[in-house]
Amino acid sequence: MADSNITLDPTHNPDAPAAPLRRSLALTEDWWAVWLGLGIIILAYVFYLAGSSISWIAVSPTKWSTFPELATQLSKNGIRYLALLAAFLVLFTIVVSFIGQKAKAFIPAFIFIFILSTIIYIAGNWDQASKYNLEPPLVALLLGLIISNVIGLPRWLDAGFRVEFYIKLGIVLLGATLPFTLIIWAGPVAILQASIVSIVTFLAIFFTARKLGLDQRLAAVLGAGGAVCGVSASIAISGAVRAKKGDPPIAISLVVFWAIIFIFALPLIARALHLPTGVGGAWIGTSEFADAAGLAAAQSYGGLAGKGLGISGTADQALASYTLIKVIGRDIWIGIWALVLALISVTYWERSETNSKVQVGQIWWRFPKFVIGFLVASILTTLIVHGNSLAEYNKVVKPGLITPITSLRTWAFTLSFLSIGLTTRFRELANAGIKPFIAFTVGVIVNVILGYILSVIVFGHYWSGVITH
Amino acid sequence: MKILNSLQRGNAEPACEKCAHFHNDPAHIEEVYRGLTTMSSGFASVRDRDGICNYHQLYLSARDSCQRFTSRMPA
Repeated sequence: MADSNITLDPTHNPDAPAAPLRRSLALTEDWWAVWLGLGIIILAYVFYLAGSSISWIAVSPTKWSTFPELATQLSKNGIRYLALLAAFLVLFTIVVSFIGQKAKAFIPAFIFIFILSTIIYIAGNWDQASKYNLEPPLVALLLGLIISNVIGLPRWLDAGFRVEFYIKLGIVLLGATLPFTLIIWAGPVAILQASIVSIVTFLAIFFTARKLGLDQRLAAVLGAGGAVCGVSASIAISGAVRAKKGDPPIAISLVVFWAIIFIFALPLIARALHLPTGVGGAWIGTSEFADAAGLAAAQSYGGLAGKGLGISGTADQALASYTLIKVIGRDIWIGIWALVLALISVTYWERSETNSKVQVGQIWWRFPKFVIGFLVASILTTLIVHGNSLAEYNKVVKPGLITPITSLRTWAFTLSFLSIGLTTRFRELANAGIKPFIAFTVGVIVNVILGYILSVIVFGHYWSGVITH
Repeated sequence: MKILNSLQRGNAEPACEKCAHFHNDPAHIEEVYRGLTTMSSGFASVRDRDGICNYHQLYLSARDSCQRFTSRMPA
């Protein structure tokens, strides 16, 4: 067993190389999602100001009903899809090279996932798709799961399946379609609702885990996973409380297991209850764990609006309320959670192997930086749109600026949803054990019920009135 | 308050990050923690510069330190 000295060794870093602190600030996936997302928005605006649009390259399939019709559409737009693939490939390869991944593996993997995403995007625009429940996010996830678990893919292809990078880029682009006034208006409610659910869920998991005899740190890692932002929260809290090396995989397995079930279950239940899309999105935002998983569920549910199923609202309302709850209400507080739990950990749980000081700076170090891009994108487009009449907006601004950005956002989300499926290998997930499973499941139940009460009964009127661009 | 005594303001010099027992390369973390990339990432901000200490078998901050520090720098 390792020794248990608390004292800081004064000789530990006399001539060590400069720590890559500044580099890590600039070269995380989060920052690249910000630069890329805002770059796309600025480019779109420059084209718009010049009387043009990026819509040529921001191609997306239109509705089709027969194969000859689809063939005509593809032969007409094939070159645009190739141009989009080339643009994504160049930009993303630059990103992965900078953050230290292998471009050689990324390029073929990305071409593969782009082709699959195109097929899914096209299938989702078949005019009979909703009749067969072919919601693109669910199809992407299911197809990915089948390929990775039944057929199997070489592991090196994972280089192109960057769930988090794609979803963060998509969220920054999503910011461009949300009025900043909406964030100001609904933000406090999102924070209040999400905070209530997060704290209650965390306590439910933590104390159940403790009652079952689990270590405090593992209990905290599980609690954060269920209460804040899934796997990202678990890994952040693991570092903050100095968890055992084997603790994060337990949380990862449980979060992935429940998150995948909820991607299918939450839209299904919301549909059965005929929740308006804004309300359904808020509930999903409160109850799903990971950003990508929740967006898959929210986009899937939003896609059911206006299809004669008794679901009111628009597709964008589901995404807007989901994002407000999840990103503004939950994600941005991870640094605070980390700080508080780190303080409790070193003060009361007394891990003795290492130096036990807690640094306030982690509130910023762990802050999910892509949220900054999301907010800046919202402010930018709100300023751009400001001063246009509704008629001008619908005739000029929306088709020239907002719609192409929305199209690129959908591509980013589709790449992410497909990547979830392609990287989920059930046999590789750690065996969590029955006690962690019980503790986490108790939190899941509390979370879903409390989330429903707050999203539907207490704040339902709020979420059903969410307005998007 | 007792709990506030543990606070350290400012950015202390990283210690574990320069230790031979400590590994925080994002690709390595993704390799060790299979499933991490499914709904998160080794390259995400929330992970800061945390890593695995193979001596103590802990997942901890690069800013931690202990008396078992072994420099990676050649002597």
